[in-house]
Amino acid sequence: MFSLYKKELRSYFFSPFAYVIAALFLLIFAIPFINGIANLSGTEYKFSFSNIFYNNFFYFIFLIPALTMRTFADERKSGTEVLLMTSPLNVFQIVAAKFLAVSTVFLMMIALTNFYPIITAMTGDVMISSLICGYTGFFLWGLVCISIGMLMSSFTESPIIAAILGEGAMIILLFIDNIKNSGLFQSLPKAAKIIGAFSTEERFENFSQGIMGLGDIIFFITATIMFLGFTIISIEKKRWSRG
Amino acid sequence: MIEIKNLTKYYGKNAAVRNITFSVLDNEILGFLGPNGAGKSTTMNIVTGYLPSTAGNVLIDGIDIAQEPSKAKRMIGYLPEIPPVYVDMKVKEYLLFCAGIKGIKRSERKAQVENAMDKLKVKDVENRLIRNLSKGYRQRVGFAQAILGDPKYLILDEPTVGLDPNQVIEVRNLIRSLKKDHTIILSSHILAEIQAVCERVVIISHGEVRAIDTIKNLEDSLGGALILLMKITGKKSDVTECIRNIDGVVNIIDASMEDEGVYTYKIEIKDDGVRKDIMTALVKNDFEIDEVSTEKPNLEEVFVKLTAQPPRKKGLKDLLDEYDDEAEASDEQNDGSKEDK
Repeated sequence: MFSLYKKELRSYFFSPFAYVIAALFLLIFAIPFINGIANLSGTEYKFSFSNIFYNNFFYFIFLIPALTMRTFADERKSGTEVLLMTSPLNVFQIVAAKFLAVSTVFLMMIALTNFYPIITAMTGDVMISSLICGYTGFFLWGLVCISIGMLMSSFTESPIIAAILGEGAMIILLFIDNIKNSGLFQSLPKAAKIIGAFSTEERFENFSQGIMGLGDIIFFITATIMFLGFTIISIEKKRWSRG
Repeated sequence: MIEIKNLTKYYGKNAAVRNITFSVLDNEILGFLGPNGAGKSTTMNIVTGYLPSTAGNVLIDGIDIAQEPSKAKRMIGYLPEIPPVYVDMKVKEYLLFCAGIKGIKRSERKAQVENAMDKLKVKDVENRLIRNLSKGYRQRVGFAQAILGDPKYLILDEPTVGLDPNQVIEVRNLIRSLKKDHTIILSSHILAEIQAVCERVVIISHGEVRAIDTIKNLEDSLGGALILLMKITGKKSDVTECIRNIDGVVNIIDASMEDEGVYTYKIEIKDDGVRKDIMTALVKNDFEIDEVSTEKPNLEEVFVKLTAQPPRKKGLKDLLDEYDDEAEASDEQNDGSKEDK
């Protein structure tokens, strides 16, 4: 399993792929950061990293399908899925190795953004506790998105379609709150409550405000596990119905 | 020993393989023959545990591949039809990766990979990206992957496709040399290849087993029959009818067009005496015989004979062809009767 993990990581870092995405990610981070500094005025020089995290996610979430689109679709397309499936590894191990590899890339990407708080800390004060909280939330929500992206990749043979499906899923994920708060669902409080249970945005908001709740952490982790479980089921299903 | 029992696989409503049963003995090379689309690859994919079967079992040394896949898969090296290579990896890197996922001990991986590269002669490209390799090299890298870790069973799906004639000979020799410590299932539709390396063959067609026997027995099964090759000028349907009516003609195996109105017929006859009868009959009917030769039946004839049998259900196309033939025949009769008047 470790071999597969290593191979996956290599495929990201031995191609321009991870670097391009990381660069784009840093750009996305840089703009609100510069904006935050540019907007400083008055006597109190303050801006919030938590806010940056919160705002960034709405752009960042659309980068994740680009990371995950190849995980299974590419294997199927190039015929290498046979190699993995006829090796002694089981589907759980394959999914886990791939998930860990993407998560590692993601972790490296967010580690790079430490660059901005460090610069700030050189000349000012950074609230470390709220920063850690923001990062934790960012990471956990990212894991959920990665598991969804992998599920989408397991549906198809084409990485492009996998990416588009992934983007679709991300949009739904983002708009759950809007749907919940819409007039229609406000008139149906019970339905709104049910939809609200799936809302990730609210939970992420807690993190970005510096509140690390056990419930929120468990929510993100179970959501990740659930989507990875669906991925395993989807791959097994494909084996049975291949024609 | 690999035992395949009553294996059945449906894709939706279509049966790809139906009730296949055979076993592969230790240290033999079993040829797996069949026309395209007969279910060869499907069977191999099931035997290696890639696809689940709809019904039936595959036992690898008594271990059911559906029940204990990881244990059974350790004993199998598989080269699928399309070599499963990652084009963005280098040859050596790829083989080390394969050694890793096959659960070969870290300390042995290097030696195993070197050994496989030597055997398949891909050592000279070990640091090249697989993307830049030719089809033949990719095929050999895929093959090298299959023999990593010395699996007891090797399952090779058309291993010589895409190789040049020299490489084909090398790979055949390799397969023969692997026989010492491995049991091999070799699928192919190239009969010469099967004839060159296998002792026993399984012939399948339309998802059903048509024969399981040694090549020699299969050839002998046609008895003292002879194959007559005749190049004849004349209307195909008339010639066929004329030949069919002669005593001692077993079957017309094939009629291939040489030129407008000239066909080479492959006729299976009981013994040498029938040849004379055929020629007399043809001359009598004013057909021109351009060439005659005879040959002993070989695996090819056995193969054609066994796989030409229609499946249980005829396809629509076959029925239409038959209908056309009948219509043509009745037209000719009508023409004939008009002339009589």
